[in-house]
Amino acid sequence: MAILETMDLEQRAGASVLLSKVSLSVEKGEIFAVIGPTGAGKTTLLRLINLLDRPAAGDIIFDGQKITDPSCDTVKARRRMAMVFQKPAVFNNTVYENVAYPLKVRGTHGKTEKSAVHQLLETIGLGGYARRKAKTLSGGEAQRVALARAVVVKPDLLLLDEPTANLDPVNVKMIEELVMRFNRERGLTVIMSTHDMQQAQRVANRIGVLMNGQLVQVGRPGDIFYSPDNARIAGFVGMRNMFRGYIVRNELGIAVINIGGRDIQTVSDLPVESAVEIYIRPEDVVLAMTAASSSARNNLRCSITSLSSIGPLCTVTVDCGFPLEVLVTDKSVVEMGLSQGQELYASFKASAVRVLPSMPR
Amino acid sequence: MKTLLINPIRSVSISLIITCLLLGVILAGCAPAATQPAPADNTSSQITATPIIPGKARFKIATTTSLYDTGLWNYLEPMFEKKANVEMDIVYAGTGIALEYGRRGDVDAIVVHDPAAEAKFIDEGYGINKRSFAFNHFLIAGPVADPAGIKDLTPEQAFKKIYEAGIADPAKVKFISRGDNSGTHSKEKLIWKAAGLNYEDVQKSGPWYVEAGKGMGPCLLMASEEGAYILCDISTFLAFKGKVDLVPLVEKGDLFLNVYDVIEINPEKITTAKMLPTAKAFTNWLISDEVQDLIGNYGVAEYGRPLFTPLKGGGCTESGCPKLEDYTVPVE
Amino acid sequence: MQEIWQALVQSVNLIVSLDPEVIQISLRSLYISGCSILIAALFCIPVGGLIHFHDFSGKRVVINIIQTFYSLPTVVVGLMVFLFISRSGPLGGLELMFTPTAVVIGQVILIMPVLTGMTISALSGVDRAIRDTALSSGASNAQAMWAILFEARFAVVGALILGFGRAISEVGAALMLGGNIRGYTRILTTAISLETQRGDLVLALALGIILISIAMVVSITMNILLQRY
Repeated sequence: MAILETMDLEQRAGASVLLSKVSLSVEKGEIFAVIGPTGAGKTTLLRLINLLDRPAAGDIIFDGQKITDPSCDTVKARRRMAMVFQKPAVFNNTVYENVAYPLKVRGTHGKTEKSAVHQLLETIGLGGYARRKAKTLSGGEAQRVALARAVVVKPDLLLLDEPTANLDPVNVKMIEELVMRFNRERGLTVIMSTHDMQQAQRVANRIGVLMNGQLVQVGRPGDIFYSPDNARIAGFVGMRNMFRGYIVRNELGIAVINIGGRDIQTVSDLPVESAVEIYIRPEDVVLAMTAASSSARNNLRCSITSLSSIGPLCTVTVDCGFPLEVLVTDKSVVEMGLSQGQELYASFKASAVRVLPSMPR
Repeated sequence: MKTLLINPIRSVSISLIITCLLLGVILAGCAPAATQPAPADNTSSQITATPIIPGKARFKIATTTSLYDTGLWNYLEPMFEKKANVEMDIVYAGTGIALEYGRRGDVDAIVVHDPAAEAKFIDEGYGINKRSFAFNHFLIAGPVADPAGIKDLTPEQAFKKIYEAGIADPAKVKFISRGDNSGTHSKEKLIWKAAGLNYEDVQKSGPWYVEAGKGMGPCLLMASEEGAYILCDISTFLAFKGKVDLVPLVEKGDLFLNVYDVIEINPEKITTAKMLPTAKAFTNWLISDEVQDLIGNYGVAEYGRPLFTPLKGGGCTESGCPKLEDYTVPVE
Repeated sequence: MQEIWQALVQSVNLIVSLDPEVIQISLRSLYISGCSILIAALFCIPVGGLIHFHDFSGKRVVINIIQTFYSLPTVVVGLMVFLFISRSGPLGGLELMFTPTAVVIGQVILIMPVLTGMTISALSGVDRAIRDTALSSGASNAQAMWAILFEARFAVVGALILGFGRAISEVGAALMLGGNIRGYTRILTTAISLETQRGDLVLALALGIILISIAMVVSITMNILLQRY
């Protein structure tokens, strides 16, 4: 059952359009992630859902009620939701008072308030912090307090606007685990915006991609990452190795595409002579010193043009007639003794190549 | 898109209402905090036994600074308050502003010592029932060294000499003027005129002539500080004797006569003046035998001589003294 | 310079011996300025909030004008109010001249710009996110406004202390409107003025020390109360 629906939501700021015909539907109990580059309109969307701003056009239906209707009680609707913002916002008061605030504005005081707050502080790992001044907390601690403050009233919907954007990896993990825990234990529906694709992949049940104010694709994480609807989405979700070409042969679903003078075998139903764009994920390419080492259909001889280390991984760029980015572990680099100019083989499965009809430019 | 956070009209109206309510409370409730009896002297710890009755009528007078600085009012005020059962408010003001308060009806009576200004005030219809009740004399005081050499001259001669010496050497010879349209200031201008000098010329003639714009006491202190000459009434001078390094240099002269008058505010002209009966009682009280004796004795213990001379009993014999009916006939 | 030491000694004497006139004057100062700050706060804090939260054309100009009036000379305020409440003025019928009420009116007008302007400054210093946080936590508009005001409480209390300080230390308006009448409208500042003119500098300084002590006590008290909350 959809707990939240937006219908053709529009938002403007002066002459510029921030959101255009955004229609999405979020199921009760799911974690829905909204991903997109900075400026895509994620914050705008969440603020509209939380009724902090009024849309230029369109409706929002929350649990069957049209909350964008002027006759609707804004405060009442908002009290069934809660939002955590990108920058940890805490009141200049104690941690206890921060978490207790939503209870206080709803008129809940005394023992009920006290036990709810303390219990939640334990859950988020800040059990002894009740009397600490909230302004003295670190970013991660403050964001946990903000999260606790959001869920203390047991809302029906939790909105998170890039909640971990300013945090270090340890705190990112903590927040993600708490969100998933609240979702699991309380059946709390979560709409979370993020620009971190990996995060969306870890946490969300479904993902919506927002670009330039438009909702361009909605689906399960796998769908988005492995079958992006178009080149723009593909580029955003981290697809590398994008090439254009033509299908020269198609035999029983194995399409051969000519890229940079080499024949690439892919899986596709598109007819011959179709103009296509192909994508190959760097981690799907395997490097080997000899040609016969793998069962993959594509084995290309190439030479290393550059190596670039990122943490425990290394991006190796090879020239196979076209530039190919390959992701290998640092360990492999050392074991194989990879170096610039070296000649070796790059291989990848036909199924690893994503083929999409070319977008008219 | 900014949503209005508060309803402007409502919050402003509410705060205005509360503010007005509070103002009303203050207006009504100020009396209890204020009806304290006035102790006789602010450096002693005497407490008079006047009972506090909230809401007693308030009788306001504006008085010349010379009377105030001598402490005469501190002495007389509690007595009159008890007799007339009013709260007496004494406002310290030079004759100029005292007359202005009178014209505006902000006080019920004025006590001043400037015959010319008083005559005009009465002619304009603001004042009625003028009575004189005390007198003393002015004197010219100055530094012991007396750089202009005016000792024992007549007032007019002394002023002329100070004028000439001051222009010649302003660092050595200075004169402090009240410069505030007070009775003393008016007297000073009269003496300059008698000396044959145009007052405007005197004002512009050089830095030796200082217009202080302050009360009698403060001007004395200034003259002492600057080593300057000053025209002062004898009572204020005596009251400040220990605090200033000045000596009396010229004490005799017809022009030095200084008569204190009380004038009531005319309710026919100033319709807001409501305290006429009390003002009349005050005038009659000042010229009554009992109070005249008190005035005549004021200051004897402390200074060896009275600071003021009562008019009753014909004490004033010089030319320029007020006529008999001006100080003996009670007001109807 | 020995006057200062003598003044210190005398001020302690006056307080310890509970000199009735000094106590009367001090309490009156406290009462009058207390009323002034209360009235001014009741009006200025909402109005300051109004100006801050509402965008309108000319807002910058209004704020500039308010800030210009921070430097309102006290004697000018006294004069203007005098012209109004004098018996022969438009409000003469209220018979306010030479009363403590007149002094309160003068002080209120004097401190209104400071209180309003500093409330606006205080609220401006609050992060915009606080409003969103309050609203998304379920606060109504009124509750959110209170949350923002509470967030700015240190600055607002600072403004109150400043306003009170300005009120209790001003001479010009109090002298003009109250008349420095002994036992009725004489407050610490006008008494200091009088004693200075009379040449009793030690007493004047002593009263000054008492005035500063009162201001200090008020400031400390307000800060302690603030820390509690």
